[in-house]
Amino acid sequence: MSSVPTAATAADAASGTAADREARLTALLVVGAMVVGAVLQIVVPPGPLTLVAATGVASLAVLGLSFVVPGRLRTTLAGFRFTSTLLIALAVFAIIGTLVLQGKPHALYRERYGVFGPLIVALRFDDIFHGLPFAGLTALFGAAILSSASLRWPVSWRRAGFFVAHVGLLVSGAGAAASSVLSVRGRIDLFAGGDVATQVRVTKGAEEGQLVALPFELKLDQFDLVNYEPEFRVGYYEKVRVVRDGVPLEDYRLKTSFDPDTAKHRLPGGDSYRLKAVYPDFVTTTKVVEGPNGQPALQAALGGVTRWLADGEQLASADGQVAVVFGWERPLAPAGAATAVLVSGKERTVIVQRADGAVAQPLGGSAALLGGFVKVGPLVPSAVRTVDYATRSSEWKNPAAIVETHVGGQVKEQLVTVAQPRGVFLDGDRSALVFEKREKEVKAYLSHVTARKGDQVERAVVSVNDPFTFAGWTLYQVNYNPQDPTYSGLEAVRDPGVAWVFVGFALICLGVAYMFYVEPRLRGGGIERPGTRA
Amino acid sequence: MLQYVLAEHPFFAFTSLLYAASMAAYAAAWRSTKAFVGQVGTALMMAAVVLNAAVIAGRYLEAGRAPLKSLFESLVFFAFNMGLLYVVLERLYKTRVFGLPAAFLSFGAMAYALLKWDAEIVKLPPALQSAWFVPHVMVYFVGYAALAFATGVAVVQLLASRVPWVQRLTTLKLGSVLSGQPLDLDKIAYDVVRFGFILLTLGLLVGSVWAKSAWGDFWVWDPKENWSLVTWLVYGAYLHLRKVRGWRGDKAAWLAVAGFAVIMFTYLGMGLLPTSEESNHVYSG
Ligand code: HEM
Repeated sequence: MSSVPTAATAADAASGTAADREARLTALLVVGAMVVGAVLQIVVPPGPLTLVAATGVASLAVLGLSFVVPGRLRTTLAGFRFTSTLLIALAVFAIIGTLVLQGKPHALYRERYGVFGPLIVALRFDDIFHGLPFAGLTALFGAAILSSASLRWPVSWRRAGFFVAHVGLLVSGAGAAASSVLSVRGRIDLFAGGDVATQVRVTKGAEEGQLVALPFELKLDQFDLVNYEPEFRVGYYEKVRVVRDGVPLEDYRLKTSFDPDTAKHRLPGGDSYRLKAVYPDFVTTTKVVEGPNGQPALQAALGGVTRWLADGEQLASADGQVAVVFGWERPLAPAGAATAVLVSGKERTVIVQRADGAVAQPLGGSAALLGGFVKVGPLVPSAVRTVDYATRSSEWKNPAAIVETHVGGQVKEQLVTVAQPRGVFLDGDRSALVFEKREKEVKAYLSHVTARKGDQVERAVVSVNDPFTFAGWTLYQVNYNPQDPTYSGLEAVRDPGVAWVFVGFALICLGVAYMFYVEPRLRGGGIERPGTRA
Repeated sequence: MLQYVLAEHPFFAFTSLLYAASMAAYAAAWRSTKAFVGQVGTALMMAAVVLNAAVIAGRYLEAGRAPLKSLFESLVFFAFNMGLLYVVLERLYKTRVFGLPAAFLSFGAMAYALLKWDAEIVKLPPALQSAWFVPHVMVYFVGYAALAFATGVAVVQLLASRVPWVQRLTTLKLGSVLSGQPLDLDKIAYDVVRFGFILLTLGLLVGSVWAKSAWGDFWVWDPKENWSLVTWLVYGAYLHLRKVRGWRGDKAAWLAVAGFAVIMFTYLGMGLLPTSEESNHVYSG
């Protein structure tokens, strides 16, 4: 910017003082509105109606005043400097509302904010958006829009955007005001197949705490809690330092997770792993093979159950009446068994012992006894046992996997099961892999309801994000009881103002878009007008 | 970590790499008189945007829902919007001067996602299963990208009046100013803020309609709501103030930067607020 002195300089200086006056008046109005609000609310306890009425009256009063008072009040109100100041002041209120906890018991403010506590409560900053200082700003907001509109009257195509957008602001504001004064909100507790609801317990609105009759009957036919399918994943956890209740601790935090596939995966820590085998429905089977330095083992079957018995082990029927006992030395019959099949490894004999005596026979390869109910053999004098892993089916009933980790050139294997999740630690204990089940998460709460008003009957499913409107009331899914699957808590809302809020906002969008993209074309060539002051 | 991302999320890694490469090319175009250098920047940027779209699409398929839930997902989405919008605006304003800040922002979002790595796919809770969810987030992120771009322009504008070679950059037909006309930075920033502002307004509308259908109230003075209102009011003040004499140039540029700081706080800073515990909106993690 060059600053060559011109004849305009004098005019600038003059307008500078006018601008100063405008700035002073702006500050006076904005601060004044807040102070008046703060003082007034000492005598007038704000409620929705008070707020809306006070805002409306103040707005019109300021506007009226601007027409009769000589001087710059009206142009100041309509000016961009005033508007911007007001918007920033409103923004500051919105920010305070996020810094100071809202709507808590008064004692908490004293406890939490010390000397500022009583001040916060006195200014009603504990419920800042329902206090009169905020209402004061809102009043100025309305007056400013009306005043700037009055200066731009009448509407023309080249100015339509401004009117549409700013009328939208007023419509939205009026809708919000109507909503805060007229809306009623309450709870209905229903039980599937239980009583028909005809009333709502009001939680917000003029009749708060009372039961109010609904203009219809409502019945819960059924309540469904739908879950997502559970999932099985390999989670990778990293050790982190956390501070909990002021105490520094070490904890593991999920960093990422993998599908239980058999591909090799790289881990964030730099190591890698793969699942060498995955068993969705895990079982172990024992296999016995001949080998050096082994222990004696005998295969025995009883009533369809086959097992390998080591020295001293036995296999008994469920009722304990029949037992097969294996010993290298001749074993003794277990107490309580009416029939005992005793196998001696060293002697290679089978003795069937009953109360009335015993019959011995040599054990060749294998032998069927008691009419085939028991089978013994083969006998392996030096047996090595191996445990085999297998899956019973492809259903994810009891998942397990063999995790093969590659840490700095070292390869290790470990069996992990979801039933007993244990970490496979990597790199000391800095990180760990866990094969885990992601429990069911709630997918939907569905209330199947029937509403009846005279002959008019409607069925609907109410769920979160999918309310149901009937006879002027809208029903929302808000509660359930994990202990009682028949219970469903619905919220009933009657809000005649809300549609106007949305209409207003849609108008703002349209008007602003029109101002930005249509009006410049109507004015010709998309050339911007120089900075103007209203 | 890098090896892991390369091996397990190669598209993510290459997208980030491409953004970084286009950043370098655009930076070179600031100093080079060869059109080719700038063209390389554009080509790399476009490639990054395409790959970024693939990352998003892949995750969409994997998760079975729009990947806009976690902070990680939203960062990847922001990078995409920034890149795409930039490519469009490069055409519109016939300049590559802003390629560097745009690629830097996209790369920055990806780098931040890497730093806050959280590729876990979370199930959508009932509260987020709404037809309004995707439009709401999309509108805001395109808006944020526009305002980020405008902020980039504002920063260049602030530098131009202080650093002579930046001034030259915006006036000469180097690799970066394609039309040969000096750039009107003030007007570009204003234009793009206006576009972003419409989206912020639409975002508020969609958000409040959604709130109504989910909670029965169109506005609950939740911290995130309040801060998006603050964002809207600050940009509203920007738009009105520009019509006050003396509020163009540097002052307006600073205001645009301040507006974007508010956006950043709204997006990432909610966890710092004492009231955030009760918010329905704060990203956890
Ligand atoms: C205090 C209340 C307000 C007043 C008095 C006011 C007044 C005005 C006026 C006089 C204009 C200029 C129209 C023209 O070019 O002839 C304008 C433009 C505009 N207003 Fe407002 N307004 C107010 C609040 C708002 C709010 C809350 C918003 C939304 C945040 C808003 C959005 C806009 C936009 C986007 C423009 C167009 C600016 C541009 O051309 O770049 N206004 N306003």
